[in-house]
Amino acid sequence: MGHSATGVTTQPQSLDIGFALIGHQESWRAAADVIGFLRGPQHPPLPDDEIKDILPWIPPRTVCHVDVASTTGAQARGIYIDSFIPPDRLGAAYVHENIARVRKAAACAIKAGAKIVSLGGFSSVLIEGNFDHLPERHDTVFTTGNTLTVAFIVQAIKKMCALEGRDLRKSTLLIVGATGDVGSGCARCLAPLVKRVLLNARNLDRLRKLAVDLRCDERNDYEADRVQLEVATDLQQFSAPADIVICAASLPTPSLLLDCIASDATICDAGYPKNLSPSADMPEAKVFFGGLGQITGGMRFEPDFNGILNRHPFPNVVHGCLLEGMALALERRFEPFSQGRGFITKHRVDEIEKIAARHGIHLAPLYNTDGPLEYELPSVGVQHRAN
Amino acid sequence: MEPLIDVNASPIECTSLSLNAPIWQDILAQAMTGEILAAMNYASLSEICDDPAEVADALEHAQGERGHATAFAAEGRKIGVDVANNVDAKHWKRLRESFLRCIAQRDFIACLIVQEIMLESFAVASYFRVGKVAPGTLGKTFLRIAAEEEDHVDHAMSILRAERARDAQRFDDKVYCLHLDVMTTLAQMLAKECKDGHCEVCHATCVKPALFDVSLSAAELRGASLQQYLKTLDMLGIPGEVTLSWVTQLPV
Repeated sequence: MGHSATGVTTQPQSLDIGFALIGHQESWRAAADVIGFLRGPQHPPLPDDEIKDILPWIPPRTVCHVDVASTTGAQARGIYIDSFIPPDRLGAAYVHENIARVRKAAACAIKAGAKIVSLGGFSSVLIEGNFDHLPERHDTVFTTGNTLTVAFIVQAIKKMCALEGRDLRKSTLLIVGATGDVGSGCARCLAPLVKRVLLNARNLDRLRKLAVDLRCDERNDYEADRVQLEVATDLQQFSAPADIVICAASLPTPSLLLDCIASDATICDAGYPKNLSPSADMPEAKVFFGGLGQITGGMRFEPDFNGILNRHPFPNVVHGCLLEGMALALERRFEPFSQGRGFITKHRVDEIEKIAARHGIHLAPLYNTDGPLEYELPSVGVQHRAN
Repeated sequence: MEPLIDVNASPIECTSLSLNAPIWQDILAQAMTGEILAAMNYASLSEICDDPAEVADALEHAQGERGHATAFAAEGRKIGVDVANNVDAKHWKRLRESFLRCIAQRDFIACLIVQEIMLESFAVASYFRVGKVAPGTLGKTFLRIAAEEEDHVDHAMSILRAERARDAQRFDDKVYCLHLDVMTTLAQMLAKECKDGHCEVCHATCVKPALFDVSLSAAELRGASLQQYLKTLDMLGIPGEVTLSWVTQLPV
């Protein structure tokens, strides 16, 4: 990339933009770190109140370039576009404003010539039900990335059960946010493997429809044992406590308090922002963050936002929804792999899992707020940088 | 004798205008100063233009900006306040000096960048915000002038885009140098609080804390101005990730 006398780089690289990742920051702390990095060490950090005043006015735009390398030797170049949705404006009151921001971010991706665009966090929630909200696309395709997110959640649940000595087949699985794209995808993949599934969401009609769909799937799967299904909008209404929980609700803030679950439950918080309230008191539960993958071939940001945009205790870890676009770009398979809501099937999960694995994209080591889970120490040796 | 309050205004408008007249007086004073400075800048620009059509354009713009200043003064009279102006006030004076350096270098493109991209972004965004909340003809005047300023930004954009097409890196370097000079001054002017003392335009104490009384805030005016500036730079074709770091590095 060419550098000018003023240290300002404006010339685009000759490499094509294979993918674009559209995201937003999940907390003001994360947003402050992004702004702080952009200001550079020569400028004093902005006070929090100034960041809260300024960020909502920033139009969606590219923040950095992202290079990823496959273990096959293939490489792909992309961009990270932040929609600059203020972290405290993810609620329903701001839905139209936020859809407009995602549309503008999508327009940036299209203008940059991205062949495939992954929608991270609330970006996909806002658009998943209605891709017509996106601008005219030409040669750019969009994927919510939710299929790979589901794949990593399912893999992590299986891994945790194996590590904890928990028999999945005897387990009661609770899915919070079950009617969402990720929640319903998890339900489809895991229902045949557990004893009982508790589906929780706000809309009872959608829950009932999901239960009917799962029963239908079950009838088509002759090997599956008949799973016990329950639906409820209130966690207190379920007949049995869950020992495995997937939190996949679209909550604007981490506010979920889980009661009525087994005290030693395994809990996967797959929300972005996180679902679980910091005040949730579950000392015996094993909580981990789900839906994350790791690029073993390496990933590089330019400028180097490493550790700022990917705030994980392990290197080269990215949310599955964004990794889906990267994996498809490495595969040079530019198609809208995940679209709409409720179409994620086990077959599609297997397919994206294979594509990702072919390029060295695997389940990330597990961690939670306190850091890596004990099974993951010491951390795996991975290549930190794309060549 | 001209009535102190516009006879066509509703009683509610009259009350809110007269109650908040000192606030509108300062808002108008800033706007009027900006317009007079713009008129001076265009007049200076006309002196370095070689093409008679460009000279005529610059003089026409100068005339237009003087008309805007007159309109703001008239709005002040309608609410019974005398709208002062002070192009020698510290921030405005520095902005004028920045522009005059471009004139001294006979750099027509730099002049357009300063006036049309930087100063007008601030004017268009601020006037639209003020126009939305100001009652009666005061609001209409701000909105009308915002729209007129936007029109001549469009005209300058075509010249600047053509210039960038010739050598993008050189053009972007020039914008960056001017940004460091001019936008730093504008950012200090737009700060939520005037930390470096009186701006020398407000008639008494700083108007910024009182802006809430007319449904405005200094943070909103700054945010809208920076947003407009970023969008204008986007339209020029300067990469968004570059302009993002420029703007985040400005003082607050």
